[in-house]
Amino acid sequence: MAGGGVVKPAAHDKPRKHYLNHVKTFASWLVTLDHKRIAMMYLAAVSFSLLLGGVFAIALRTVLWNGAPAGPDSRILGATMEQFYNKMFTLHGAVMVFLFIIPGIPAALGNFILPMQLGAKDLALPRVNLLSWYLYVMGLCFFIAVLVFRGLDTGWTLYPPYSMGGGSEGQRVWLSLIFAYMAVFILGFSSILTGLNFIVTIHKLRPPGMGMYDMPLFLWALYATSLIQVLATPVIGITLGLSLIEHMFHVGIFLPEYGGDPVLYQHFFWFYSHPAVYIMILPAMGVQSEIMGTFTRKHIFGYKAIAWSSIAIAVIGFLVWGHHMFVSGQSPTAGIIFSFLTFLVAIPSAIKVFNWVATMYKGSIDLKTPMIYGLNFIYLFGIGGLTGLFLASISTNVHLHDTYFVIAHFHMVMVGSTVNAFLGGVHYWWPKMTGRMYNETLGRVGALLVFVGFNLAFMPQFVAGTRGMPRRYANYLDEFTVFNQASTIGAYILGSGIGLQVIYLIHSLFKGRKAPSNPWGAASLEWQSESPPDFHNFTKPPIVTGAYDYENWEYESEEAGWHLKQEVIDTGKTLSKVH
Amino acid sequence: MGTGVAEHETKHETLPARPPELAMHFDNMHQQFHSGKLGMWLFLGQELLFFCGLFTAYAVYRGNHQEMFHYAHYFLDTKMGAANTVVLLVSSMTAAWSVRCAMLEQRKGLLITLALTFLCAGAFMVVKYFEYAHKLHIGAVWGNGFHVQTADLPPELLAKYPEMTGEKLKDMGVGSFFAVYFCMTGLHGLHVLVGMGLYVWLFIRALKGHFSRRWYGAVDNVALYWHIVDIIWIFLFPLLYLIG
Amino acid sequence: MSEATHEHDHHGQLPGTIGHVSSWQTLVKVLVTLLILTVVTVAIAQADLGRLNVVGAIGVACVKAGVVALWFMHLRYDKRFNFFILVGSFALVAWMIGYILFDTMLYQHNVQDYKRDRQAPATP
Repeated sequence: MAGGGVVKPAAHDKPRKHYLNHVKTFASWLVTLDHKRIAMMYLAAVSFSLLLGGVFAIALRTVLWNGAPAGPDSRILGATMEQFYNKMFTLHGAVMVFLFIIPGIPAALGNFILPMQLGAKDLALPRVNLLSWYLYVMGLCFFIAVLVFRGLDTGWTLYPPYSMGGGSEGQRVWLSLIFAYMAVFILGFSSILTGLNFIVTIHKLRPPGMGMYDMPLFLWALYATSLIQVLATPVIGITLGLSLIEHMFHVGIFLPEYGGDPVLYQHFFWFYSHPAVYIMILPAMGVQSEIMGTFTRKHIFGYKAIAWSSIAIAVIGFLVWGHHMFVSGQSPTAGIIFSFLTFLVAIPSAIKVFNWVATMYKGSIDLKTPMIYGLNFIYLFGIGGLTGLFLASISTNVHLHDTYFVIAHFHMVMVGSTVNAFLGGVHYWWPKMTGRMYNETLGRVGALLVFVGFNLAFMPQFVAGTRGMPRRYANYLDEFTVFNQASTIGAYILGSGIGLQVIYLIHSLFKGRKAPSNPWGAASLEWQSESPPDFHNFTKPPIVTGAYDYENWEYESEEAGWHLKQEVIDTGKTLSKVH
Repeated sequence: MGTGVAEHETKHETLPARPPELAMHFDNMHQQFHSGKLGMWLFLGQELLFFCGLFTAYAVYRGNHQEMFHYAHYFLDTKMGAANTVVLLVSSMTAAWSVRCAMLEQRKGLLITLALTFLCAGAFMVVKYFEYAHKLHIGAVWGNGFHVQTADLPPELLAKYPEMTGEKLKDMGVGSFFAVYFCMTGLHGLHVLVGMGLYVWLFIRALKGHFSRRWYGAVDNVALYWHIVDIIWIFLFPLLYLIG
Repeated sequence: MSEATHEHDHHGQLPGTIGHVSSWQTLVKVLVTLLILTVVTVAIAQADLGRLNVVGAIGVACVKAGVVALWFMHLRYDKRFNFFILVGSFALVAWMIGYILFDTMLYQHNVQDYKRDRQAPATP
């Protein structure tokens, strides 16, 4: 019967050769140019970073259970409890932002899926792809060096002059700061190379017959992301390059005592770091679009609106960086303009949410694990996005600036949306990437734990923030105890949800049921390859079908998966014949 | 066409034998060439944004300290800057010419133009070295380190403003100018050094006869990089050396 | 550069070449143009035109950059998308410089006040 592109191996055959086992040596992984292997290496590396950043989060929430005892008497790991807390929130932020969220979805999932959704064999520039992974690992090593050399407690934004004074530890962390600058600088170039590669691939390897509007929305999202990666990331490169020089030679660009302007640093930093939040959220929105279509079995609603709203977000993202600087020396005129521009971003974001909801309307919703993450996404992104409007208006921002309200807002977007989409995407493509099914029940339990834990951790912070609890403090007034303790319990639940996933996903690698080529009935091209894919991705030329035309697929209970209907195979064109 | 899959199926039937330079995920040399070139252009786009930080710093410090910038620009020798501009423009032409030679498969011409480009880049760095050495020698440096004696001030500056002293300049914050100057020209110089390395690499490959009319992407892309280095200097020269 | 040189450009092109071959005459003409523009920009700078000096310097530099991009970098004959990348990057550069300059000029008086306060002798 074999559906489109699916060859069912007979039981007595030798194990099928695929990208994971066609060569097995360790060295073959380190020099591989195969986008799928590089993606898996990225997945391993970013997951490690997620867990590392998670450990820091758990540590800082633990300190906040009662607040750190003041004074030098309570010591932990060679620092006072307060310093320890400061280091934890700094490293939590830096590791999560630079090592996990920014590369997470594009470099790990995108790397794997992008060429396959185009029906291509690889990314256009495979060596550049491998280089980007090595740069990532170098950046990771520098961050670990920061940890080993006393850590840092300057906040992840590394604002001078505080950062260059070494924070509370003075010049004892001189070296750590150099490592941190190096790490972010190098990770920036890793990110640029990934984005560059994606743009080239989408332009040059998109097959004839597949126009931009025939692409899955995930690719539109990655395209928009890549534009930001290529055009914004160099600015953080030069910023941290200059900071490094300033820190070592005191040239006087950012440090006021040598004639520099610290507000200029903030301008530079946010010129990248605000578009960077769209590097974080846009790919997540792409994953979300794929999941919403597949698990409602309905053509995605408003394709073009979703596609162009990604581009709109990327463009507007460059115009709003000053809303991070409303209270830090920027002129009021600039603040008002930035406040106005910031509201504009809400429009394309809302368009996306409306379209996802409309996709679900009258769809046949299948609450598989990825779909639960998809629902989490809509709910949490809605809250995260709407609270963003509070912060965009300059007058409320002045009140809420640097309070827990801000913390809760951006965690709603970064964690509630991006991490949820990352986890949803990992579950969605796990059968394709590894060839194994995870345990569906545990998957749903994990998704619910994440949802409950997350809400418990961050909802109280909105309240604490509006009541005036500032961020980045190791202690708090008694009236905030209940919020902080609820938050800490939430963090533990969230952590246990992620821990559970690590366990059952690794377990599935060894004991999981063999995955069919298309376990979900999804319609984009990658599901016409086998699970896991062949080294060249497709054993047969994929048949051209719409990325959201689910009616072309039918369920077959024998293999517990979906395959193309026979008439589609008979009448459809293969990609090789379209031109 | 876009998928490698077609090639998988029809390798021995319809498509001509694949050139050895063609990577397995491309269908033809055109697609491969233009992919590399698009990648290079995107890289150049990020190069511009990378330098943009420095140009912004320049604009901000200049915009807010016009007087100081006016005095400071006397420290830069227009003749040396102009000489370097000419050297870089010539090297840009030889770089473009090397692409022409590669496309026409003129091996000798290719080797000559590559070597000339390298030599011009070298000449640029030599001039730069003398400029830097002089500034470091008289103490015209960044931040609070600026310590030029009045006797060492540029003659043109003293001719126009006889009462000017090194101390006055320092108090004016002229260190900011030199911070910007050294960062901008330093980063540019770093790019020139990288370009020189790339031209050595191209020269060796050309010696080995690697390039042909369908396979000269490396020559073309390095030349593109070299032109952007040139374009950045085209802006640096008037901004730093000329306007006061 | 005229149509005639364009015709000339294909002279001597080998069959099956990827891309457009520039004639050596074009390359020399472009170089001469650039050198003339260099002389022009130096000459403009010698005259004291006040603010116009900056405008002139940047204007000539933009023309020179355009010449390099269109002929030396082949943008005239290249895919249009590559042109958009260059123009888009420049637009972003202009936005960043323009906006940050605008803002720093606006808050500069705060910096000056601060400096003056620090230099003034402490008053009770």
